[in-house]
Amino acid sequence: MARFAVIAGGRAADEARRGGGAEPARLPAREGGLLADLYARHAAAVLGRCRYLLKSDEAARDATQEVFARALRSLPEFQGTASPATWLMRIATHHCLNELRAARAGWREELRRAGEARSHAGVEADKRELLRALLGAAQPEEQEMAVLYFVDEMTQAEIAEATGRSLPTVRKRLRGFLAAARGALAEACPGLSLPEGDDL
Amino acid sequence: MTPTVSLGGPGLACSAMRVRRLLAGELSGPERARAEEHLAACTRCQAARADIEEEGRALARVLPFEAFAAGVAERMARPAPRRLGRVLAPALAACLALAAAVPLVSRVLERGGADREPFRTKGGVSLEVFVQQPGGARALGAGEPVAPGARLRPVLHPGAWRQAALALVDADGVAVLYAGPARPGPLPGAFEWTGGGTAGTLVLLLADEPLDPDALRARLERGGPPAPPAMRAEVVRVPLGRAAAP
Repeated sequence: MARFAVIAGGRAADEARRGGGAEPARLPAREGGLLADLYARHAAAVLGRCRYLLKSDEAARDATQEVFARALRSLPEFQGTASPATWLMRIATHHCLNELRAARAGWREELRRAGEARSHAGVEADKRELLRALLGAAQPEEQEMAVLYFVDEMTQAEIAEATGRSLPTVRKRLRGFLAAARGALAEACPGLSLPEGDDL
Repeated sequence: MTPTVSLGGPGLACSAMRVRRLLAGELSGPERARAEEHLAACTRCQAARADIEEEGRALARVLPFEAFAAGVAERMARPAPRRLGRVLAPALAACLALAAAVPLVSRVLERGGADREPFRTKGGVSLEVFVQQPGGARALGAGEPVAPGARLRPVLHPGAWRQAALALVDADGVAVLYAGPARPGPLPGAFEWTGGGTAGTLVLLLADEPLDPDALRARLERGGPPAPPAMRAEVVRVPLGRAAAP
């Protein structure tokens, strides 16, 4: 028989014989290197963002790998940023929102379901689902800033710094998002509304 | 009165991103001290920390490092989107040059087992081999010898086929490395080629029905075609070579 050694995290022939599809073993802590360091520090956050927005583990895996490939292609910019975590989360958010815009057809239906689910889940859980559904009603830049503000809980000043936009522009985009969200919510879930006012 | 739901947002001193940056080691000095002090007393930020810790557990389950590294390497081997073209750090540029150098992608396709059936290809079928190394991975170049101890990571492009089996054939015989669903992308694990001889072949068999690894091994050991006679299938072969031992 041809001889080979399975590397940690790999799958042996005996495992393959059981009929594939089994999850690979967890990789123990291992050698350093840039990619290993990026994985240890930031991959969980990026994967979490991608899972939240894309609602699919498979799509989130692909998106996470794409985000880090982009980071490595833009290494000088990435290494020069004040906050690599913020930079990566912004790239991940932007990438996933693009994916959603390319595929999205039924955000109104999703919004209706999110509104209905409110009575069956905790406030924290359905708040994020509702926000995700409402993103479909907004313009691209409004979507990104809404995620940075409502999910990442970044201040407007922090968003302005991360996106390179002025503070008034950030405020304008967030108000634009809220206006679009209120309109969409009134149409899809008449029994539910956002708080009045837009004191951001 | 219509019930209202708040979408949240940053609090006076609360920020999920600040907690994330604290845990990632990005804060220092007084900013770090303030964030730690706030976190210790704030249930909202403690909940954010719990969410972040759950993300870590999900990462180990959904995207282990080996799969992550191979997937990133595969994407970096593709031509970069023009809008992302930037000056690369010298070390990374060297790595990318290696990755872009004619990867070992075999498109040697064979008919399945059914002689009377028309040959059917499902398009986009190929097998790539990446070499894992500290800090990333790169594609094994065509004709590039496999270094002793190299960690090899096959990456499948199965087209529309549903099942895949991958075998290593060398001077010592046949070993099946994988049999299961034909998922595009890297296989879950890497392997080191430890068999004898200076030449080997990776044989990828793709079909729509489940593939028996023992039957595949037996057919290859007899020198026959990988697929049984009545099966619609596609085969990709990737030659491997290495320098003779001194």
